[in-house]
Amino acid sequence: MTLPTLAALLLSAIPIILLCMGDPKRLRAADRKGSGMTPSRRRTLAALACVPGIACAIGGDAAAFFMWLGGCAMVGWAATFCFRTRDPDSVS
Amino acid sequence: MIHLKKDETKTMVAVHGWSGILLGLLLYAVVLTGTAAVFAHEIGAWSAGHVTTQSAFEKPIDATVRRLAALTPAKYQDDVNVFEIGDHGLGVFFHRHDVDAKGKPAERGIYYQLDNQGRILRSVEGLDEDVFGPRNDDALSSFLVDTHVRLHLPNPWGLLLTGILGLAMLVAAISGLLIHRHLFKDIFTLRTRANPVLANRDKHSVAGTWSLPFAFILAFTGSFFSFFGTIGVPVVAMAAFSGDIEALSEAVFGNPGTVDARPVAIGNLDRVSADAVRRVGEAPTFMAIEHFGRADSKITVFHNPKTSDIEPVVLVYEGASANFIQAKPSVGTRPSVGGTLTGIMGPLHFGNFAGMLSKAIWFALGFAMCYVTFTGMRLWLVRRMDEKGSFAWLERTLTVVGFGLPLALTVSAAAFLITMPLGSSVYWTPAGFLIASALVILLSIVAPSNAMLSWTIRAATGALMLLLPLLRLLAAGGPGWGEAMAVGQPVIVALDIAFLLVGGWLVRECWRERRPTRTPEPTLDRVIEARS
Repeated sequence: MTLPTLAALLLSAIPIILLCMGDPKRLRAADRKGSGMTPSRRRTLAALACVPGIACAIGGDAAAFFMWLGGCAMVGWAATFCFRTRDPDSVS
Repeated sequence: MIHLKKDETKTMVAVHGWSGILLGLLLYAVVLTGTAAVFAHEIGAWSAGHVTTQSAFEKPIDATVRRLAALTPAKYQDDVNVFEIGDHGLGVFFHRHDVDAKGKPAERGIYYQLDNQGRILRSVEGLDEDVFGPRNDDALSSFLVDTHVRLHLPNPWGLLLTGILGLAMLVAAISGLLIHRHLFKDIFTLRTRANPVLANRDKHSVAGTWSLPFAFILAFTGSFFSFFGTIGVPVVAMAAFSGDIEALSEAVFGNPGTVDARPVAIGNLDRVSADAVRRVGEAPTFMAIEHFGRADSKITVFHNPKTSDIEPVVLVYEGASANFIQAKPSVGTRPSVGGTLTGIMGPLHFGNFAGMLSKAIWFALGFAMCYVTFTGMRLWLVRRMDEKGSFAWLERTLTVVGFGLPLALTVSAAAFLITMPLGSSVYWTPAGFLIASALVILLSIVAPSNAMLSWTIRAATGALMLLLPLLRLLAAGGPGWGEAMAVGQPVIVALDIAFLLVGGWLVRECWRERRPTRTPEPTLDRVIEARS
């Protein structure tokens, strides 16, 4: 139970972290213009991040699905915090 | 994301802001204690030094219940509830249906508290609402749960208040979703050193966006539990059972069958629990015996959800023969969508459906809710920084509640650890909380600035958290790390480490803030000074 859920979380964590690293608005706020991901790549990564959760849902594992959903929320929040912009005069 | 007209957005912003600022402080208290209460069972084991890991239902209970039945007057032997208490001891409540002083349905009987060797520690006679209070060994976890459930207000007012707070959280989540135009565009943008409005807005919206689905789930399920008994049951009873709540409970949650009042001895309860363990894969959490000692007796056994599921398992047995009858839904006798939805409310609210991992995730989500509530109120204040004179008191109030509540909870934990060996923890755990709260309020009046107030409270919390493991070991006489690991209670070690890490981090942060090179978090005072 725990291991498949952790594996699903890990599989989703990778695209979430990549999405965070390549997020155009985050990079603009950090004054790193032009290095953001393209929308198609972001959509692909977002879809990839959802695959483990969809697999849990289709497999009928409600417990793993809810833990995956909550875990992804926390991974996303933690990734945003880790890659936060520290520049004092950021754009709005 | 969702585009509203300008005036509609303005209205939504007002609804979001004012509902948050009016009820946010109480909501924060409910959510923070709820976050800690996710680990109420583990906190109970940590604080009282529980070293038993085998469930009471995995040991013989049949002889114990029969022995207690022989001691109990026949007038209380209509029904029996059996459940775990303390260090895998047994709680047995022999009772009959009765009414309280206000004429409301209640259960009256004798509640036996036994240790894990089957010895009677205490027996209390009276109505259910009087006999099920906190005990000396679970005063801390009971205090946490009671604060979360009803803020220590008398029934039904406490439940109604927490239900309203749940609805306020739901309103804030929906209005927040509607007013946030760039929900996904902003989801990774956190500008912590930008101007105070932007920094606080980012903190609030990022945490709020990531945890949005769970804001709905936790608020809805929390309101459901608060309003279920206070409004839902009486209204349905009035509409469909002529106001007879007992008849409603019997029809909706009971096991209807042919009445047969012939005296027949109860079947072997050990056989029932062994069969339940075999069918579900783990020990029951609760056993209810209806019509104890009668031919029409039924035994209902409650379990946590099975692996991969979030719906709790309920099994029904014939009382006289101890034979299995059926797996029963939480509501009614046949599976239904409503029954399933009612069944999953608890696991979805408490996060207790898949052991420590689900609890850890729910704890983190609860922390995110606290953070969203706190930063939301802070954002509301920072946006009104030009009105310093009118809202400086609110900033201090926010600091008192936001940082003072964790301090008061830590003090109550320390009070519990010191007084549990003396047998007076039921009094001193809430007393410690109240004394700490009073001191924090006093400090907020005399502190020269909000920054100083915040610093002092956080430093005190950190220092006390560092002391908690020592108090547990030396004052409460709890097991050391080696002993805890040896008996299979790693949660004691884990909680000690968690307190040391959080305490150490708080003390370190406060120590660093004393250095002139580090710029502290902007407060209203500093923002106004910088502007003038």
